[in-house]
Amino acid sequence: MGKSGLDPDGIKSSLRTFLSEPILPLAKVSTFSDDESFLEKGILDSTGVLELVSYLEKQFGIRVEADEIIPDNLDSLNKLTSFVLRKTTNVA
Amino acid sequence: MTYSKDMLKMDCSAETSRIVGFIQEQARAMRRSGAVIGLSGGVDSAVSAELCVRAFGPDNVYALILPERDSNPVSAEFGLKQAKKLGIRTEYIDITPVLQAFGTYDKRDRPIRELFPEYDSGYKLKIALPPDLLARDALNFFTLTITGSDGVEKNARLGKDALNGIVAATNTKQRTRMLELYYASERMNYFVCGTTNKTENIQGFFVKYGDGGVDIEPIAHLYKTQVFQIAEHLGVIEEIRKRKPSPDTYSFIVSDEEFFFRMPFHELDMLLYAWEHRVPLTDIMGVMGLSEEQIKRSFRDFTSKFNATAHIRQFPPSPPES
Repeated sequence: MGKSGLDPDGIKSSLRTFLSEPILPLAKVSTFSDDESFLEKGILDSTGVLELVSYLEKQFGIRVEADEIIPDNLDSLNKLTSFVLRKTTNVA
Repeated sequence: MTYSKDMLKMDCSAETSRIVGFIQEQARAMRRSGAVIGLSGGVDSAVSAELCVRAFGPDNVYALILPERDSNPVSAEFGLKQAKKLGIRTEYIDITPVLQAFGTYDKRDRPIRELFPEYDSGYKLKIALPPDLLARDALNFFTLTITGSDGVEKNARLGKDALNGIVAATNTKQRTRMLELYYASERMNYFVCGTTNKTENIQGFFVKYGDGGVDIEPIAHLYKTQVFQIAEHLGVIEEIRKRKPSPDTYSFIVSDEEFFFRMPFHELDMLLYAWEHRVPLTDIMGVMGLSEEQIKRSFRDFTSKFNATAHIRQFPPSPPES
């Protein structure tokens, strides 16, 4: 479990809700599996990346460094969840 | 065509004839008797001007040199020299007053000051994407760099609102140039000649109704490396052929590669061709000496940019007839 009672399922649920909203450009797809690539599905683009990073920083109180804005950290729900868990665990 | 290192090499003489014929045909269809072109001091506009002169003769090609206060001074210098080489008429118009009246610089600077309160007109600025996509994976996000008279650089990652604010303000530069070009062309019954190449077109590296607001695009089927081939063949001045391509939109010099493309043109064009024509991965790996991961990373970037900018390559949509 990460800081402040954050648990993987809670993180994942919060992320899925955010990514299913129409605020992200091209995010017309409301259903995606935990492992599906956002980039391949067209859910994430350059503006979407900025929105997502901004959301992560505000929602989870973390700082996303420039060299962390990579597909390995952000390009699926599972990858995002793992990334947030790592960052919140390190901050605690 | 077999995928190979030399596959983008062209018969420049034949291609020149083909493009010149196209330009003449379009002029006839539009009932225009010449071309107006914005000479930016870069290779694309230089080549387009050369082709127009071959299509119409120098007396029927009119060049506008349209710098503003952030432009690199060599841009106008090279543009004028290229125009002199071609023997065409030129008109030099500094568009800074128009941009100031619109508030371009103030609008652009507002989001910058939110990040750097010390920023003022004594600073230079640029924005750029993460470098070296082939060397290191990173998603597309822009970093703002400012530098003062002391040469110290400061960087900040741009959030959505800041990026949109800066880009929207900066795009007024290209749109203002479009105004000048169309005023001249309609006055003279000429058409406005575009200068976008294929590498830029596919990835949406032009401004909608800015440098994308033109009547024809005579080199939009040529990759950047092919534009350079034709430039040498046509005798574009050496300063332009040797100049590193740049958007020339920001006061801090930034190359096209840093600002947008994230890899050198010789690799970019080969990969773009492969992406467009669905060349098998093993063929690409063999010819370019890249890994599967590097190629897939590049293709991901191309697809993302192509999809995001589809609307700027299309006529505005409307509902189908009922």
